[in-house]
Amino acid sequence: MLIAAADNSIRLNLSWIDYVMIVVYFAVVIGIGFIARTRVRTSMDFFLSGRSLPAWITGLAFVSANLGATEILGMAANGAQIGMSTLHYYLIGAVPAMVFLGLVMMPFYYASKVRSVPEFMLRRFGKAPHIVNAIAFAVSNILIAGINLYAMAIVIEAMLGWPEWVAIVVSAGFVLVYITLGGLSSAIYNEVMQFFVIIAGLIPLTIVGLNRVGGWGGLVDSLEHTESAQKLSTWAGTAIGHVTNPIGADWLAIVLGLGFVLSFGYWTTNFTEVQRAFSAKNMSAARRTPLIGAFPKLFIPFIVVIPGLIGAAVLGNQLSGTAGAGKLTYNDVIPKLIQMYLPTGVLGVAVTGLVASFMAGMAANVSSFNTVFTYDIWQRYIKPRMSDEHYLRVGRWVTIIGVLVGIATAFIAAGAANIMTYLQTLFSFFNAPLFGVFILGLIWKRMTSAGALWSYLAGIAAPTVVWISYLVNPSLFNTGTAETMYGAIISFATVLVVGVVISLFTRPKPDSELAGLVYGVGKIDLKSDAVVGDQAWYRSPALLGTIALILCVVLYLPFL
Amino acid sequence: MSDSNRSSSRAPAGGLSLTEEQKRQLVRSTRRFDLRRILGGLFLLYGIIVTIVGLVNTSADVHQTGGIAINIWTGIAMIVLGILFFVWDRLYPVPEEDILKNLEREDEEKAVGEGHELG
Repeated sequence: MLIAAADNSIRLNLSWIDYVMIVVYFAVVIGIGFIARTRVRTSMDFFLSGRSLPAWITGLAFVSANLGATEILGMAANGAQIGMSTLHYYLIGAVPAMVFLGLVMMPFYYASKVRSVPEFMLRRFGKAPHIVNAIAFAVSNILIAGINLYAMAIVIEAMLGWPEWVAIVVSAGFVLVYITLGGLSSAIYNEVMQFFVIIAGLIPLTIVGLNRVGGWGGLVDSLEHTESAQKLSTWAGTAIGHVTNPIGADWLAIVLGLGFVLSFGYWTTNFTEVQRAFSAKNMSAARRTPLIGAFPKLFIPFIVVIPGLIGAAVLGNQLSGTAGAGKLTYNDVIPKLIQMYLPTGVLGVAVTGLVASFMAGMAANVSSFNTVFTYDIWQRYIKPRMSDEHYLRVGRWVTIIGVLVGIATAFIAAGAANIMTYLQTLFSFFNAPLFGVFILGLIWKRMTSAGALWSYLAGIAAPTVVWISYLVNPSLFNTGTAETMYGAIISFATVLVVGVVISLFTRPKPDSELAGLVYGVGKIDLKSDAVVGDQAWYRSPALLGTIALILCVVLYLPFL
Repeated sequence: MSDSNRSSSRAPAGGLSLTEEQKRQLVRSTRRFDLRRILGGLFLLYGIIVTIVGLVNTSADVHQTGGIAINIWTGIAMIVLGILFFVWDRLYPVPEEDILKNLEREDEEKAVGEGHELG
């Protein structure tokens, strides 16, 4: 009855009106590039928007930089596959991590005036861990940009019928132009714009989808008939020793692995995210950046995961986990629902939003890559003591080279999709140990440079070993997702043990060099750069953080 | 323009000495391209397009969506959001000192860009 489109293609039928909306959007994107260009006079303007942006812009960019292809399609796929348990990624994962970043870590980052996350490593621990961190970030980020580019090309090919190479070259070309022109400001303005457009596309999709399945009640009914009703609960079946939930992990692994280590690691140490807060105009705005981002993040699952559930109810047995000839995969849920439910008009908005979000994701990778390459590698180790104009020029060239390498990676990915998936999993091991090193370094002034270096390396190696063992012997964990959670916990524990042991045998930095970098050493002035209005009660970081955490609990309640 | 000459010949106090007219010009040009105006313009345009499509094709829309004139509703919502962006921009323009401060800090910013702060 509901399966209006029984075929397995997700080709969309766009009219000229929909194309006009896409063209208008990308004309504005390029226009923003030229406007931002006029304000780039120094390398700091190019890499960190001259630390001048207001909190609402950096906050929305913070959440939007993560709202790329993998996020929207991937979380909707999770919604179709494991149901409401996907809420964990938002409510136990992202939001508490964002609150932690805003309340606890941002004062250290912003007050130390570092220009990148690796630079914080340099200030706190010195050169050896800094080199490892900077190179790992630069290399992984540019390759991830390429892998994302390829993922986007597949979807664009399926939806619009463009050949993959056209999709790759055209979208990389747009990113190249607007980032080279306006740097981070271009990236951030486009992220904010993309945020509103994708929301304007996903809300009508969710409304129409719910209407077609007979409202929320109809969705629940149909899931109970066709699928396991467990898709509607989040914490059921997570008891230790008696795991029956679709993630395949108990509550402790979910809280510690997914929540504490993986999400805190990603949101607090991934420079692609944190860079948005570094570009804020003062301490207050920097701290509010992730907190403002937390509020949209709380509600995004309801326009991403619910469409996933609708897909599970409506498409049911058409969906499969693996791609095959003429088969729909879980990742196709959103494009398929767009095809089925959205008429010309909102269709154009939704497609614009999707394509824009793919592109913004890649732009975020490129704009953080060029910063780390220029400041942390080029300026620090290759050509120090040059003029600011030199670094601005290098930044532009690195952007161009970065995009070209990204395009090359995308083409390699097209030939070796499996290897690329592995590579991406591998890179996911970088954040958890970095978080471990930073946390230990922030609370324990005795931690040494050698302790940081070796615990960081051990923390990357440990989950790699766990992951390889899982590939060899898949019976070790219930699901791949469960493996990443336990892997993250093991990585974090390794960092703590190795970091403490080696630090005890090596000489720490004197207190005088640690002021403002370790909790309790020196004082961080949170108000010295305050501007009129920062004191308003609704701008209080503590209040915003508390409300966000309360909402995390409240939003779980209907889906226990 | 040779940038290196420009920065070395400047007074150590830093910042460009602009006339009042130049300052007004800068504030005006920055505000003209405020992101909220761009967003407002985009949503207004999209909203109008989507609403018109909805009015022309109402029956087809309702058929596909199972009873909701989704284009009309979305279009109106987008127009309202677009107007709100303009109102917000109107009521709370970017403070003048934020715009000028950024320009005055150019020397300081260059020093940061060259990595002097970190030693």
